[in-house]
Amino acid sequence: MKTFYIWLAQWLLLILLAPLITWWMRKIKAAFENRVGPNPFQVYCDLLKLFRKEMVISKTSSWIFHAAPYVLFGAILFATTLIPVIGSGSLLGFVGDAILFVYLLGLGRFFMSLAALDTGTTFGGMGASREMSLSSLAEPALLLSFFALGYRAHNLSLQGIMSQFALESPIQVLFFTSFAFGALLIITFVETGRIPVDNPATHLELTMIHEAMALEYSGRYLALLEWGHQIKQIIFLALLANLFFPWGLEPSPNLFGIAGSFLFFMLKIFFLALVIGWIEAHTAKLRLFRVPDLLAIAFVLAALSLLGQLIIGR
Amino acid sequence: MKSVFEGLREKFPDSIKKFLWESGEEVHLLVTKDSIVQIAAFLIRTLRMRFLFLFAANNTEEKEPFQIRYVFSFQNHARFLILEIRLGSSDMTFPSLTPFLPQANWQEREIEDLFGIRAEGHPAPKRLVLHEDWPKGVFPLRKEFALQAQVPRVKGEYPFDPVMGEGVFEIPVGPVHAGIIEPGHFRFSSAGESILKLEIRHFYTHKGIEKLGEGKAPSELLCLAERISGDNSLAHAASFVQAIEALSGTSVPERAKYLRVIFLELERLYNHVSDIAGIALDAGFGFGSSQLMRLKERFLVLNERLSGTRLARSVIVAGGVKRDLTEAQRAFLLKEIRSIKNDFDTTIQLLWQVSSLCDRIDLTGAIKPEIAEALGGVGPIARASGIDRDLRRDHPYAAYEHLLFLVPVFSEGDVESRMKVKIQEVFESFKLIDEALGMLPEGPVSVLLARLPHSRGALGYVESPRGECFHWLETDAQGKISRWKIQSPSFSNWPLIEYAVLENIVPDFPLINKSLNLSYAGNDR
Repeated sequence: MKTFYIWLAQWLLLILLAPLITWWMRKIKAAFENRVGPNPFQVYCDLLKLFRKEMVISKTSSWIFHAAPYVLFGAILFATTLIPVIGSGSLLGFVGDAILFVYLLGLGRFFMSLAALDTGTTFGGMGASREMSLSSLAEPALLLSFFALGYRAHNLSLQGIMSQFALESPIQVLFFTSFAFGALLIITFVETGRIPVDNPATHLELTMIHEAMALEYSGRYLALLEWGHQIKQIIFLALLANLFFPWGLEPSPNLFGIAGSFLFFMLKIFFLALVIGWIEAHTAKLRLFRVPDLLAIAFVLAALSLLGQLIIGR
Repeated sequence: MKSVFEGLREKFPDSIKKFLWESGEEVHLLVTKDSIVQIAAFLIRTLRMRFLFLFAANNTEEKEPFQIRYVFSFQNHARFLILEIRLGSSDMTFPSLTPFLPQANWQEREIEDLFGIRAEGHPAPKRLVLHEDWPKGVFPLRKEFALQAQVPRVKGEYPFDPVMGEGVFEIPVGPVHAGIIEPGHFRFSSAGESILKLEIRHFYTHKGIEKLGEGKAPSELLCLAERISGDNSLAHAASFVQAIEALSGTSVPERAKYLRVIFLELERLYNHVSDIAGIALDAGFGFGSSQLMRLKERFLVLNERLSGTRLARSVIVAGGVKRDLTEAQRAFLLKEIRSIKNDFDTTIQLLWQVSSLCDRIDLTGAIKPEIAEALGGVGPIARASGIDRDLRRDHPYAAYEHLLFLVPVFSEGDVESRMKVKIQEVFESFKLIDEALGMLPEGPVSVLLARLPHSRGALGYVESPRGECFHWLETDAQGKISRWKIQSPSFSNWPLIEYAVLENIVPDFPLINKSLNLSYAGNDR
């Protein structure tokens, strides 16, 4: 029963801390650009503001437009339950493995693209077509890197992989999985819509990918989309942190152990966010037609990780 | 310069009617309407003169109340040849130059819209300035149209040229954009992400500034001229006052000329730095953009320290400049300019090291030299497409003839070239300010404006940060202004964007647009 509460707590923490990571990334970016940046509560306040605002909804939209934010948010909440944060297990880790995780994200994306097409605006259609063509390349790379990790861990569930790696020596884990780490890092940029793939801060409709799909949304729906996006971001950071640096996951069941493990986890994801922010600040956005090249690199890295293990042995 | 008149008269004995007048840098000839196409072709093809622009005027005091003037510039000396044709109210057509001179396209359509004079033989005589909600047969720049007249809105539809084919779809963008920018409509036809065609639709902010000028005294209009295009305030003001000075025959004191150079170059500096920052921002490179915006702010603060306003408004007045620079201000300017120059140098070197940025701007949005030439491109955009043209050097005004500077020209015509041109020009502007400060002669900074002559016109011109900016002022028999024509660089350059985007993809459009950085307000007037 106690572990159940820990798992529940870690799930809630991921959801509640997601905006904080967004704040942290903005703050890093601001630091690189000679700006002060927002205060930690700004992102929460923005969400709160959006939840209270009136929604303006196109008359031509159907039920899909209304359903999509809930489906997307729900799918992401479900995906979040699959990820161990401080314990070696997760709330619903027993129901599914990495494949379920990938396709939960896929479900949200599918509905989001439909909703973008639903209103019949040009930008929505453009965003949907871009999102679909990019994710059709990102998905195989994401799956393949999970397979590479799963091959090593003899297990395809996220909690199984993490707890297996946590037992092994750090050098051994990183030697075989570093390629997959590269792949997953690139996919993190694509999935979370960050430079060099997409620019979350732009006002230029014609260059948008993710933002273009959300252009018609306002008020509560927009808040759900934004929050969902922020949770997705923290999920990917948690994956990167716990799959490749899975130490400190098994806390002693007292309060200090849990708190220490949690702090260590926060440290890891804040550091990873710093790395991503640093990369963002030092690159311009890629041309849209160069993004597939980047995803091809991710795919090749994942394939190399798997092949390397097949050739050299686990 | 009578020889041009005689030379042309020999070539076209029946067509050249009269030598009108010669003043300052201009030679005015009256020619017959039917011969204008041949004469223009001869001037451009044989004499290698450059066609600048054309404009109409409605002068009710004349027997033939409509005049159209064609401005040419001589190949080897800093003078303008202005051909005039006159039209009676019974025959409201003039031959179109567009078929062989595409750059006349917008100008002739503007005349059709505002004066109701039809360009015969124009290949696409659609509306340009006035939109479809403006009733037919109402022409705002005719004298009979009262400034305060209420015009009813009518229904109508603007026909965009359709692109047919499987998988081709249209993307309407604007006139309301997501950012805080001015209104303009862009209609893309694209297959997937590739742009097949772009048609632009502007003039949403047409304010009738030229109409406002009618019947006013010059002093009332300077303030308006400064507000035609906000970031080119000084260029428009300088162009306007130079037209007045040429018209009235006022000669500006030397010291004022050098001070004008300093302020005009300061305006170019903050504009170019801001443009380069914009390119970095739209390529998603926030770091470079914020560094350059920081430099822009230093220029604006500098402007404020020198003139009292951040955009250096009200500095240039008819007859000179408003205020002299104090010794302390000059020292501050020199110190600040040198310090910003080093800062800028470091930032630019850093920009070129970012390979992802270089990849974005290389080959993007290329304007071929022949397109830029045919459509009459001006300014840094033309210079990035291999057209070596700069009013500061070719038709020197203010004190530019005494100063040494280079005109950078690149030939690729892509975003990178435009950025390079602007970077080089920034360095040249630093040099020019330094030089002008060193050579600043003693003396007064302004003189009283002489009285305006009656029924005369004159041209004022400035190489603004965006390119050639012309103001034409014409007085009536009472000495009031009867026609104020503003030929802004954005009006010349907007048509180029339709060609710059070809063979590019939709998500690169904002970057291309930013590299051109044209003004909507300056274009629409």
